[in-house]
Formats: sequence, C-alpha cells, structure tokens
Amino acid sequence: MNINKPNLSRRDFFKAGSIIVGGITVATALTPFDGLLFATEPPKGKGKWYGIGIDINKCIGCGNCAKACKLENNVPKDPFYFRSWVEQYTIKNDGSVLVESPNGGIDGFKQSVPDEEIFKSFFVPKMCNHCAKSPCVQVCPVGATFETPEGIVLVDENYCIGCRYCVQACPYGCRFINPEKGTAEKCTLCIHRLDKGMQPACFEMCPTEARIFGDLNDPGSKINYFLKNHTCMVIKPNLNTGSKLFYNALSPEVR
Amino acid sequence: MTQHIQHLYEVLSKVDGYVYPNEIELNWSILIVLYPYITGLVAGAFILASLERIFKLHVLRPTYGIALLTALSFMLVATMPLVSHLGKPQRAYEIMVTPHLSSAMAIFGFVYLWYLMVVLLLEIWFDYRRDMIIWAGETTGLKRFLYRAFSLWSTDISPKAVALDNKLGYIVTIIGVPSAFLLHGYVGFIFGSIKANPWWSTVLMPVIFLFSAIVSGIALVMLVYIVITSIRKLKIDMPCVDTIASYLFYILLIDFVLEGLDQIHRIYIAEESFDVLHNLVFGRLFFTLFIMQGLIGTVIPLLTLGTLQFYKPKIQIRKAIYTVIAALILIGIFFMRWNVVIGGQLFSKSFYGYTSFKIGLIGTEGYLMAAFWLIVPFIILSFLLWLFPPWKKKEDDHEIQVG
Amino acid sequence: MPQHIKRLIGAFAVVIILFLVLQSFLRPTSFGKLGHYRADAIQENKMKALHFAGSDKCTKCHEEMKTDKEVGFHAQLQCEACHGPGLKHAMYADKFKDGELPDSLLLHKPGSRKECAVCHQLNAARVKIVFDTINNSMIKQIDPMKHNLVDKRNFAKLVCIECHNPHQP
Repeated sequence: MNINKPNLSRRDFFKAGSIIVGGITVATALTPFDGLLFATEPPKGKGKWYGIGIDINKCIGCGNCAKACKLENNVPKDPFYFRSWVEQYTIKNDGSVLVESPNGGIDGFKQSVPDEEIFKSFFVPKMCNHCAKSPCVQVCPVGATFETPEGIVLVDENYCIGCRYCVQACPYGCRFINPEKGTAEKCTLCIHRLDKGMQPACFEMCPTEARIFGDLNDPGSKINYFLKNHTCMVIKPNLNTGSKLFYNALSPEVR
Repeated sequence: MTQHIQHLYEVLSKVDGYVYPNEIELNWSILIVLYPYITGLVAGAFILASLERIFKLHVLRPTYGIALLTALSFMLVATMPLVSHLGKPQRAYEIMVTPHLSSAMAIFGFVYLWYLMVVLLLEIWFDYRRDMIIWAGETTGLKRFLYRAFSLWSTDISPKAVALDNKLGYIVTIIGVPSAFLLHGYVGFIFGSIKANPWWSTVLMPVIFLFSAIVSGIALVMLVYIVITSIRKLKIDMPCVDTIASYLFYILLIDFVLEGLDQIHRIYIAEESFDVLHNLVFGRLFFTLFIMQGLIGTVIPLLTLGTLQFYKPKIQIRKAIYTVIAALILIGIFFMRWNVVIGGQLFSKSFYGYTSFKIGLIGTEGYLMAAFWLIVPFIILSFLLWLFPPWKKKEDDHEIQVG
Repeated sequence: MPQHIKRLIGAFAVVIILFLVLQSFLRPTSFGKLGHYRADAIQENKMKALHFAGSDKCTKCHEEMKTDKEVGFHAQLQCEACHGPGLKHAMYADKFKDGELPDSLLLHKPGSRKECAVCHQLNAARVKIVFDTINNSMIKQIDPMKHNLVDKRNFAKLVCIECHNPHQP
C-alpha cells in the first residue's frame, strides 16, 4: 500500500489533468460550430433580395431623408435617435478630416471650415446596411432581430428584451434603444410602404435621386443598373458584414 | 425619461470629434461592468476550491468550504445586473425559451445554468449532504426543515454512502474546472466576438477575462477568509493564506503578461483603429486604466506579493498586507472590467471621436443599484455561512475515500 | 443505486421536465417558421402606419401644381419634401369645402430663407453637385445672409418666395 501510494496519486493527477484538458477541448471544439456563424443566407435564385445604392456625387445634404424617416416612422425627435442621417465630411488641405452631422443633418448644414482651407467636402447619407451577414442578427440572444427572406433586417419590438447587444454589434451605429419602448429600433427599409407598393420615405423624399433601391436578384433592376455603371463600395468591407448598401464615389475617409 | 434626455444633451455637449448620433448614449453602463466582475469572482473562487480537491493541496483546506459558498452566493446574483439593465426585464425568460444559438449571450444562459446546477450545487450538495443530515438531527424548526429539504429528505449516512458522495463530488469538481473556465471564458467571448468594436475584438479577450477572474476570485476568498477568522476571533491559518497569496502572485503575473501581450500586439500591428484607441487610453481612460487598473490593481500588488515570496515579515503584518492587497486587486479587477465595458463605448465606431460617460447616484443604472448588486452576494454569503458553516463540518479528508 | 442518488436524479429530472414543458408553452406559435424569429413580426412591421402619401396622391387634386412644376428646376422634387407628410391631408381634405380645412389637416407652406437654405445654402460639399443629368444643371447656391439684401437691417423680412416661385424657381 505504501509503495503504491505515490503511483496512485500521480495517476490521479494525470486522470484529473486529462479530464480537464479533454473538457476544455470539447468545449472549444463546440464553440465555432459552422452552421451557427451567420444568421441568414441570401436566397438561391428566386425571390427578392433588396439592395440599396447611394450616389455621394448626387447628395446635396438637404437632410430630407433623415427628416422624412423620423416623420414616417415616429422616431424620437431628440438628436440621439436616428434610423437615417447625413454626415458632412470635410477634408482640409492639411489632410485632417472633419466630420459633422448636426441633428443628423435635418436642419441643414453650415459650412464650418473656410473655403480656402478645404481640400474637398462631400455629404454621406447613412442608414442601415441591411447586411446579409448581419452582426446584429448574429448576436441577438432571442431572435428578436432577423433578416426577412427579402433581405431586410427587422426588429421584432414585441419580442425584443432590450439587452442592447445588437447596438454594440452594429459597426455602422444604425441601431438605438427607443427610450419609451425600451426595445431596439432601426431602419425597416419602410417595409410598411414597400408592402403597399410605395418607396421607402427617405428614397421618396430625396430631391436628387441620390438614393435608389431594388432587387439584386433582378438583372434589370435599378440597383443592378446602378452597380454596373458605377464604381461602388460598401463601408467597412473588412468586417465582412455582407453589407447591401452600396455607395458610389465613397472616399476612404468615410467610416 | 426627460431626465434621461437632459442627461444626453449634457453628454452631447461633451462629445469630442464626431460620433455617430446613436452612439452618444452609452448602452452598457455600470451594471454590465458588474456582470463580468461578479461572474469572474464565481469562477475564480471555484477554481481555488478545486485546487484543494483535485490537486490535493491540503494546505488550502480551511478555505475550501468558504470558497465554494462564496462562489455560490455570487453565482446566484451573477445574472441580476444583466437582467435589471434590460429594457424589457419581464421578457428575460425568452433567452431560455428561444435561445439564438449564434448569440454568445443566449448560450451564456445555458453555460450559467450548467455551472450553477451541475457544478456548484452538486458539489456543495455532495460535500454537505452528510452534515446536513447530522445537523437536521441537532436542530429544530426552520433550520431543521431547510436541512431536510436540501438533503432531499435522504437519511443514508453510512460510510459507503458518504464514500460515494465523496467520489461523485470529486468527479463534479473535475467537470467543474473546465466548466469554470468555460463560464468565464464565455463572458470574455461576449465582448471578444464583437468585431465592430476594435477595443473588444481580440482573441485574447476570453483568456484575459479568465485569468483576471481567477485573480479576483482568489483575492476575494482570501479576503473573506481573513475577515471571517478575525470576526470569529480564530487563529488564522497562515500557511494557507501564504499559499493562496503565492498563487495569487503567479496568476496575477500571468494575467499581467497576457494583458501586456494584448496591448503590445495592438500597438505593433497598429490597425486602422490605433489612433482612436491611443487617444482613448491616454485621454478618457487614463485614470481608470493606468492608475486604477495598472498601478493600484496590478503593479503594487505584484511588487508586494513578489517581495513576500522572499521576505516574510511577522504574521500580523503579513495579514494586514494581504488584506490590503486583496482589496486592491479586487478594485483593480473591477476597473479592468470597467475599462473593457465602458472604454469600449467611449470612442466612436467611426474612429473620429469620443463620447463621455457619467453615472448618477440613483436610477436603474446608478451607483446605488450597482452597490445593491454588490452587497446582495455578501448577504447571501452570510446566510449560507450561517446555514452551512464549513468550520462545523465533521472533518475528514476527501482523499481517503477517493484513493 | 443508493436512495439519495435516486432522489437527486429525480430532482434533476423534475427540473428538466418542468423547463421543457415551460419552454414549449412559452414559445410563440409563429416562431421558427421562416428562421429563428417570430414569422408574425414581419406582418407586424408591415402594419405600421403611413405618413407620407407620395406625389401621385397630391397631384390628383392639385393638378395645376404638377404642370407648373414639371417644367422647372424643382420637377424632381416631391411635394412632401417641402410640405411635409400629407397622407392625412390627402385622405380627409376632400371631405371639407374650400377654405374650411381644419388646421390639423393643413400642410406647411415653406418659403423662408432658413427653409430654402436647407438645400441652397452655399456649401463646399454642394457647389459642384449636378442634380439634373439631362440638363446638366447645377444646384443654385446662395449665402442667405448676403443674397439680394435690399436693406441690410431688414433682410429677414425678404422671404425667398417673394421673388421666386417655389414651384418654378
């Protein structure tokens, strides 16, 4: 017994150790389970698959889109809640970048840099990218945000628990928590208007047709024409979000 | 409501540079700082308990029961900050009903339940079952009923049954260690998996969370043990505390190296987000990161504990030093969570500016609420220590039955 | 198996069964039909109230505006871009006689320097913008603080629409 004892305890040690290592291996092997990575896939072939195009060369920064969005969707009026907003980028001669969006651009823009200091300046309307591999959908713990079969990312406000994880996960800052409802809120691509054959409010109210949307699966759609005839880019392509909001003339300064 | 909006206007005036309009409001506040903090204390306390059991470090015996009960009392509260910060707390059950498998937060619900039910409760149950049956015979009234109920009205305290309890408890402990790793690694993953946020999105995040969790848990158990012995006017088991302190030193060292590695890597690869993070660290995060987490929470404890490895002053002085150092480490780890959670939201994902953060005394996201959730575990712990005093257990060594 | 282990397993079984029963009761009926979400939520989102009517609705009654606007620079501009959401107005206006429309149904008639400046204020980001590719015309830019000031002390009184017809600027 005395001779065996050290052996026994060493065996125990290895037994314990190997179980621990095994447990960790199993636990880590389970985590990156492939099918769980992305919430949705684009439909194969049939069905609508919405995409959005914004032409920065055409945007005059009137803020009509941001204003229309608030009015159409009853978004809280305070300047902390936007489903759609406009930013002005001013690149100065010294290379520094100034970004402004007073009240999301709703009240118009005032040029804050004198002309002679400006290298170039442009407006960038922002809205939900309706990503195909939405980080926000991926992280929602209860399935209260999702992608419709048409590729529109929606929030189920009757099911959302208000954990704000999706707000953290959105790289584009397109989500917020409605202060009255306590649930997440975001652009719906005005699905309630699409449903009645109308355009989303921001598209409808744009005076220069700087924004268009359409079915990416339809070769003859406006959006495909736009994508074919312009050099388009998404914001933060490195994040591989499958963004379906394509900008023409997007400068690398835009983030 | 209007107060909240007013607060946001105040924050708006303090915005530096450009932040997306929806980013002016900080979405995760002090309650979400507490959540990984408390979970970490659980994992750390449990791992200290398992050291005694699995690796037969008998010198740690006096803290075994305290560590388990500490882990349990914090575990029971761990999800409460999370639930109370929800916009719709009444819908919290949905996480268990329709868990979204691709969401780290949803899976956490199950990791939590697994850890609470299968690991912590089972281990404590196997450990205390015989004592509960004995105590049920010695007490009356409510206490007697509780012992009966908690032991599931079982009566078998034959040596055979107790040996089986010990064996099963040992198995549970072995399952428990990877589970504790999983539990807190997972909390790190909740942050580390957010690719939109460069301050969070690092593969080292779960590992860093894990090691800082072990550090905080060990420090907490050490502190609780010192406090309990002085309240009960017992002689402190100094070899035990010295051993804990040396573990604390080594794991804090690993934690420090890991966090340093993370930052060095960040600085060296200097990605797109580097400038904004650099200014964040030396600006709005300077005090909490360098002073609270770095100096008070890491450097001072490391130097002190390191010195104590070679030079051992008198017991009374050592005890005082350990008490202070444990408290400093607990503060430091709290600010580590703070720097992750709050720091990750102070800069804009456009990398063009910073928002600011101020919390009030009251309200669901205020100091009082946070203090409440930090005090509750100690109330539970005193209840558990009253009901299951580890020092009144019939002493026996686990290994006799196991071997 | 000892009695207490049986009881323990029983207790766990009870908890797990209770959990599964509750889960099946609490799971919304349409959940999982199309994906990991309530399929009904799509319909709920589609049921939200509309506010903007669209220019087609406007020109049904205000035909003269359509012909007026068609030839001017503001041809592409939607009515509601300046006048605000008008669905309520479009739905109920024909129930009232001319001039008796209640205030709540009246739409806004902009024309001040501030309102026009939203598009026409001089701005470096705006000057080069071609809004009409057919005529290759650029958006007109003015400084509302300096533009056509008859009396420098009184400039606020000079409203844009005193000189410009907003439908045919």
